[in-house]
Amino acid sequence: MAEDFARQIETHRGYLLRVAQLQLRDRDAAEDVVQDTMLAALSGSGFAGKSSLKTWLTGILKHKIVDAIRRRQREPRVVATFGDLDSELDIEDFDGLFKDNGAWESKPADWGDPEESLGRREFFDIMDFCLEKLPPNTARVFMMREVMELESDEICAELAITSNNLWVILYRARMSLRECLEKNWFEGAGRHAP
Amino acid sequence: MIHRALGHLLRCKDVSRLVSQREDRPLTRWERWRLRMHLALCDGCTRFDAQVRFLRRAMRHYRA
Repeated sequence: MAEDFARQIETHRGYLLRVAQLQLRDRDAAEDVVQDTMLAALSGSGFAGKSSLKTWLTGILKHKIVDAIRRRQREPRVVATFGDLDSELDIEDFDGLFKDNGAWESKPADWGDPEESLGRREFFDIMDFCLEKLPPNTARVFMMREVMELESDEICAELAITSNNLWVILYRARMSLRECLEKNWFEGAGRHAP
Repeated sequence: MIHRALGHLLRCKDVSRLVSQREDRPLTRWERWRLRMHLALCDGCTRFDAQVRFLRRAMRHYRA
């Protein structure tokens, strides 16, 4: 029984490792947090079967990653892990969305009742597609803010960037995602497919 | 008089940045007021505002 559970958890190791690696950009640190997550999952009695095992494990992993980032923040670091940021800080590429007088070139569309999309697996497939189209650091920062729910100042400290840089990156992410979701879901065929 | 009032109006482009920043920092009273004034008159930005809020809710549902 317990062995069964351990084996089920083990099948998600590769996935957990990918998520951790994406966030921490450090193979050893990623393996550590995944190991901690597996141990916590095995020792705790928290899994009630209300969510999928994968979702439950992701929830534990999220806390372990946040802990790792906070710990790292307290240690002095020599090397910044945030590379090639400049190319992702250019806010002007969204100027095309606005006219010279600052009004929308084409207004955001009416999304109707978007809440019903939250219950659709296909919606999150489109979300994945849109997240993958973001520049890598932009996606990473957006995930730190919106999935791991880190505070702005924690992200700035972890990545050694200014608040202004952070706002620009998150603005980029939201503008791109909004546009991509609109095109591929709210105005695309996906939403109305059976 | 009217010109001074217009000078306080934000453009959609500025509003889009402010709406995004609202998710990451508290806006000042002055920023909130200007935002409200603009949203009252602009349906494009009102949609954008709702969509950015929705994006946050969607990400809360999201599991990588």
